[in-house]
Amino acid sequence: MTNNPTLIEMRHIVKVYPPSVLALDDVTVDFRRGEIHSIVGENGAGKSTLMKVLYGLTQANSGEIIYKGEPVHFREPGEAIAAGIGMVHQEIVLIPEYTVWENIVLGVEPVNWLGKIDRQRARQLVKQKIDEFQFNLDPDARVESISVAARQKVEILTLLYRNVEVLILDEPTAVLTPQEIPQLFAELNRLRDGGHTILFISHRLEEVLELSDRITVMRKGKKVDTVPASATTRQELARMMVGRDVIFTTRRKPQPPGEAVLRVENLSLREDHGRVRLNNLNFEVRAGEIVGVAGVEGNGQFELVNTLMGIQKPTSGRIFIRNVDITHFDILQRRQYISFVPQDRGKMGASLVAPLWEDAIMTHHRLNPRFSQWNGLLLNTRFAQQFTRDLIENFSVVAPSPRAPFRTLSGGNQQKVIVGRELLLQSDFVLLDQPTRGLDVGSMEYIHDQILRIRAEGRAVLMISADLEEIFLLSDRILVLYRGQLVGNLPVEQTNPQEVGSLMLEGQVQSS
Amino acid sequence: MRQKILNALIGIVVALLLGAVLLLLQGYDPLATYEALFRYSLFGYYPFATTLRNAVPLVLPGLSAAIAFASGVVNLGQPGQLVMGALFATVGGLYLDLPPALMIPVLALLSMLGGLLWAGVAALLRRFFDMSEFIVTLMLNMIADFFTAWAITEPFKDPAAFSPMTPQINPNGWLPKWGEFNTMILFMFAAVILAWFVFNRWKAGYEWRITGQNALFARLGGCNINRNFMAVMLMTGALAGLAGGLVVMGGPHRFIRGLGANYAWDGVMIAIVANNGLIATFLYGLFFSAIQTGALGMELITSVPNEISQVLQAVLVLVIVASREYLNTFVEQRAARRRAREART
Repeated sequence: MTNNPTLIEMRHIVKVYPPSVLALDDVTVDFRRGEIHSIVGENGAGKSTLMKVLYGLTQANSGEIIYKGEPVHFREPGEAIAAGIGMVHQEIVLIPEYTVWENIVLGVEPVNWLGKIDRQRARQLVKQKIDEFQFNLDPDARVESISVAARQKVEILTLLYRNVEVLILDEPTAVLTPQEIPQLFAELNRLRDGGHTILFISHRLEEVLELSDRITVMRKGKKVDTVPASATTRQELARMMVGRDVIFTTRRKPQPPGEAVLRVENLSLREDHGRVRLNNLNFEVRAGEIVGVAGVEGNGQFELVNTLMGIQKPTSGRIFIRNVDITHFDILQRRQYISFVPQDRGKMGASLVAPLWEDAIMTHHRLNPRFSQWNGLLLNTRFAQQFTRDLIENFSVVAPSPRAPFRTLSGGNQQKVIVGRELLLQSDFVLLDQPTRGLDVGSMEYIHDQILRIRAEGRAVLMISADLEEIFLLSDRILVLYRGQLVGNLPVEQTNPQEVGSLMLEGQVQSS
Repeated sequence: MRQKILNALIGIVVALLLGAVLLLLQGYDPLATYEALFRYSLFGYYPFATTLRNAVPLVLPGLSAAIAFASGVVNLGQPGQLVMGALFATVGGLYLDLPPALMIPVLALLSMLGGLLWAGVAALLRRFFDMSEFIVTLMLNMIADFFTAWAITEPFKDPAAFSPMTPQINPNGWLPKWGEFNTMILFMFAAVILAWFVFNRWKAGYEWRITGQNALFARLGGCNINRNFMAVMLMTGALAGLAGGLVVMGGPHRFIRGLGANYAWDGVMIAIVANNGLIATFLYGLFFSAIQTGALGMELITSVPNEISQVLQAVLVLVIVASREYLNTFVEQRAARRRAREART
């Protein structure tokens, strides 16, 4: 496999996202006919961008692409598909009300001599393709009624129906359950054996090692290396991805927790049409304690945050902070007790178009009297600027000035501003929702240090994270949410990732 | 800032060039036409005073729209709020009799109250029935239009007049003139300064701006979204209403059918051209007023019909709005290319 002839060569690709984000920095890579070639890297390493350049979704600033010995330049995905290169995106884009075969032929329907769609033949052609690739799909099922894994197959078949030779898959396993992954891999292997070339984007190293023939590692827009999968290890890949040895040990110092700060009693949230989102939650977060909330996304984390913050009203149950019942407080009242770092910076954490200082003073402007002039009517802009400059300095934010538009800051610096703003509120309880999602390693470590610092100060931290490693790195105690229920409340010393993992997936510990 | 000025200059120059092409095609002399256009709007005591005065009913609804849009409130009810303000001021002027120093401010406040109440109807419907203010304010424009038409044909009609209009208001409520300068422009200046101050220096203004940019963030930050929505609705209603009152008190001194003309819609358009900037709305308002004012004079001495002013306005809007986005992309693309060059070396 690794000695097959080269099919695609990408040479010296440079891509800058305006105004100045260097997404691809002189990347040269080759893909061979009939191989599964994985591209790994952290968030923001440039792996998706590289594939989008190849697929014609975005244009490189310089560099060239050689495909089958000819220089090519796809201005849009249609041209790439016509040439035999197709991409399956993370978000699946199908018409739910249509059947499988209707979705697959959409846009290239076979027509009869009257120009009408030949439904019989279309269905037959799709059936043939399904059999040819042994995809185990019902062509007449409506897409809304089939699983996510099956929809993904429909997406892949849509490309195969258009006779692509090169399939690009952008983190296809992110949406699958662990049980569904082997089947996908079997199908991909079959396609490879049939002569297709598969480019596979991922950041899950075990998967990549299992599936690939060769692996290209990217870091910060640069290609680090391309290696045969058989000649590398997980540790080596991780080192190449991150740029140094990754230490999976905690810097958390033992510290006896104090009294309870947050207390949640019998908290339930039921939706209008009866679906239970939170089912009778009871837990505490004590002073000087970090409690991690683990769970597969969509098992109640979102609703837990919403009820704690007052965006959604719980159906029943109560929330106390320092013995104050905040269940019926409005958001501003809650903010006197809660620091909150939301998971989505651009949607919940800041206004991207506002100048930095306007994002930095949010909430403080109501709670801190020094921001007021004229009896609270006027905003003390001079103090706001001073406050922002202090925040920039104390939280090591790289920003040209407090007046710089927030969107011109890098993701890591944006997050530092938000974390800084919230920690400066000095509240006893800190709610962190995916505080390091999508950050580079440096910023992530910085934010971890800040979280440990406020723990040492004796504040209570509740941290929701999809990253189990992060949870084990920081937490004193781990809560596991499964279908809106608390299925685990475990001191970190008494558990392990395997136990938590199986609680996340099954709601119980597998007896083996 | 520099980019905004560049954007305006490009827009104006391109619009004038396109206008010149049209004039040439029609067989007119563009230079002479433009010379007349600006002579009768900017260069000269009387033309300049007239331009300023005509700017009032453009700038105030423009400010109203700009503040609303920038705060994420879709108040498109400026036409209705303007005529309601005019009606309130007129009725006050018909029945009140106060010395001018009191009468004028009272009528101005009454007109603001008219606009405010009319906007308040939409705000309450949104607050309690969750009806989109976008639709409701538009619908209320129709209602205000017919309501004022009824008011000046039935209860408040001037018995001596043959067409629908009210009698003249008490002369104590007429806005005095300073030479050729009508004092209504002082109200406009004051409104611009006050609106800017509230929007940019008040805590509430800060919350309005952030809400307009990202309402969820503002809400999670502890801003009272409902109260802010209400405040913006009422304030922008009052601004549009004031425009109506000033038109009555500075001009015909009565409510005549068609008084609102197209002022409010032009104001909304100006706010869009100004990208909801308050100072920019003021400046573009003056410029649009200059074109409208100059066109009348131009028609007198050249044979060019004054409709050319509408052509110029339309081209201005298109060019300025289109070139704004293009200019942004262009500046960013240039930075990107520079960065890419650095990366290669």
